[in-house]
Amino acid sequence: MDYKKLGFKCGLEIHQQLDGKKLFCSCPCITNKTEEPDFKIIRKLRAVAGEKGEKDVAALYEEGRDREFIYEIYKDCNCLVELDEDPPHEVNRDALKIALTVALLLNAKIEKNIKFMRKIVVDGSNTTGFQRTALIAKDGFIETSKGRVRIDTIFLEEEAAKKIKEEGNKVTYRLDRLGIPLIEIATAPDIVDSEHAKESASILGMILRSVDCIKRGLGTIRQDVNLSIKGKPRVEIKGFQELRSIPRVIEIEVERQLKTKNLKAEVRNAKKDGGSEFLRPMPGEARMYPETDVPEIIIDSKFLKEIKLPELKIEKSVRLEEKYGLRGDLAKEIIDDDIDFEVYVKRFENVKPEFIAKVLIDMRKEIKTRFNLETKPDEILEYLNDGRISEISFFELLVEKAEGKKINLEKYKQPDDLESEIKKIIKENKDASFNAIMGEVMKKFRGKVDPKKVAELIKKGV
Amino acid sequence: MKKVSILHTGGTLSSKVDYKTGGVVAKYTDKDILSMFPELREIVKIKSRLIRNMSSDDMNFKHYNLLAKEIFKELKNSDGVIITHGTDTMHYSAAALSFILEGLDKPILLVGAQRSSDRGSSDAGLNLICAAQFIKNSDFFGVGICMHEGMSDENCLILPAVKTRKLHSSRRDAFKVVNDSAIARVNRYGKVEFLNYTKREKGKLELKLINEKLKVGLIKSRPNMFATELKIYEKYDGLILEGTGLGHFPITKIDNFTSENKRTFDEIKKITKKIPVVMTTQCLFGRVNMNVYSPGRELIKIGVLGNQLDMLPEVAYVKLAWLLSNHKKEVRELIGENLRGEINHRIKDEFL
Repeated sequence: MDYKKLGFKCGLEIHQQLDGKKLFCSCPCITNKTEEPDFKIIRKLRAVAGEKGEKDVAALYEEGRDREFIYEIYKDCNCLVELDEDPPHEVNRDALKIALTVALLLNAKIEKNIKFMRKIVVDGSNTTGFQRTALIAKDGFIETSKGRVRIDTIFLEEEAAKKIKEEGNKVTYRLDRLGIPLIEIATAPDIVDSEHAKESASILGMILRSVDCIKRGLGTIRQDVNLSIKGKPRVEIKGFQELRSIPRVIEIEVERQLKTKNLKAEVRNAKKDGGSEFLRPMPGEARMYPETDVPEIIIDSKFLKEIKLPELKIEKSVRLEEKYGLRGDLAKEIIDDDIDFEVYVKRFENVKPEFIAKVLIDMRKEIKTRFNLETKPDEILEYLNDGRISEISFFELLVEKAEGKKINLEKYKQPDDLESEIKKIIKENKDASFNAIMGEVMKKFRGKVDPKKVAELIKKGV
Repeated sequence: MKKVSILHTGGTLSSKVDYKTGGVVAKYTDKDILSMFPELREIVKIKSRLIRNMSSDDMNFKHYNLLAKEIFKELKNSDGVIITHGTDTMHYSAAALSFILEGLDKPILLVGAQRSSDRGSSDAGLNLICAAQFIKNSDFFGVGICMHEGMSDENCLILPAVKTRKLHSSRRDAFKVVNDSAIARVNRYGKVEFLNYTKREKGKLELKLINEKLKVGLIKSRPNMFATELKIYEKYDGLILEGTGLGHFPITKIDNFTSENKRTFDEIKKITKKIPVVMTTQCLFGRVNMNVYSPGRELIKIGVLGNQLDMLPEVAYVKLAWLLSNHKKEVRELIGENLRGEINHRIKDEFL
């Protein structure tokens, strides 16, 4: 696909949930509840006019459906604020601080006056009928392999409720998720092709994960793709859960656009098979009006000084790579998994850091795939550190430990005098080739000795 | 089709965001509200007028009289009146209209909202629709308040004007009946279920206005009170005491820390000699009984009224003003008479 020729324009919108407390109340950010809700309430919503006095196109579309919303409520993570029975409390300063940290990492300019707005949402996913959102920074950028991708805006907003089911005109939402702080990052249409979209999303994800109090796990980050090609209106595709599906969905959408006549600007939902489906018309301009229940926040230098920028994951990973001579992918995984590698290195100072990295990543993954077992490496690393076993028997011991077996070190004990044992074997097999002798030695000491060392000794002995 | 007049006074129901000040102000006109809720016209024939556009906190006796006169005018050609009203003092207005409109033989419903009408989730729509449905589908007459029954947009309750109080600062179902039960339940489709409605005999509607020059006070008892706080009421026309518990005030000197209490007692005694003083309870639920403890008996002895009554302090306040305006010589007798349903002699367990 020749993206340049197509006039391909593409930008990303990333939504990242934060941990801690909700944005406008003191409820904890608990999500993905599976137990039965404590109680339910039923609500209706009306489309209302925005600041300009016209009812918004998207809002009208929803009104036409005359829906009834059933909200499922949990007492441990919902209060009257999520039920729209109590006005918003003052904004969660910790969440604001995290969002500003992200903004600074994205090289963006922080807004001096942060003012929350009401973005009209009438699909029922907000009990209020709107989402509270504030522009906190703009004009940032990230560097990518295909040039700079500008960040137009960074918003701090409240997460919507999760839709549970829809039957006829009745839609059920669960309120555990409603009100969780959400950072929205929107890039400029600087993305040049489908692979570049994936790369940019991955860099943004890395930066977000470098900050404390970022929520992890399924559904905590969502990527939307905005794209258009020459002569066609803009289309937004929502709901990518996985980075690797981005290029394919973009390619399929571009093909669909090329085939479809009279295309409408619309919001589409990413499907698992790589395609996308119509979700709703693109919202008009009249969507926003001021959230007057929340006073404006002035960001002064004192507040900004309290923000400490964390070391980026990529910087941490490069540091591990260089300091300990680790493979790049190992260093990256150690950082992604939040393993405190330097603690291991200090504790097991006689073990090569590179070997520790292999134990923590490669061996763990191998044992998981082959035996579906979780590794517990500490005890075995200690034996290795004390010189009671060799690296060669490590994997086998790790598996035994994972299986819950009692570890018998005798079995893996190195012969006391390997050199004389080898000499003895050479004597017994006088005319044998190097390989044959090697075979004999390994037959006797498999799993207990390092073949490299054996080869060296045979060469020396011969 | 029944004819219903909607008289607007303002409040959250008529409010929208003011983009200049950033606050919420009463701004919608009567036409705006009708265009926002077009389904009202399918229920009853509507005539709509703007009386004021204010928050209810700013109201005074003059507004009650104005409103009563407007209702009186409207009732000549209407089957009922809906009043849109701010919720903060809606229970005061409801009580005032109950007393002023003597012999009322048509339904008057006060309707408010806890979320402004410019929000998709506003409760205004259901409250208004239910009020219209209730007038259409019932033969109720008298004054009532029509607000959400619960936090869901399902049912509204028709609440008795003189037995209802705003008991929550923000919830849709903030209005609760105290020492009584709701009159009826109604839904948006017009289903009416009467819960506790005793029809009174129809009289001849007569306006009995409140004297706008009257000064009536309302003071709440609390620890560490000072006699000087009460002194100002010597110049008033009437005073409601919002006592603790069964109707108590700090009036007993029990040690050398409490000599102020004696002065407080003397001040109340002085005031009761000049003007009617009525005890109510800040517990809201339950009744006043000043016979149980000796300080209560002392208060009865010096002429404090209201013993054995279960009137809400706000209702007692309005009633006292109304009695002073219309039955000045009989205040002491009539304060304990159940004139509009404001006194309940049988408080049932399920009321709290």
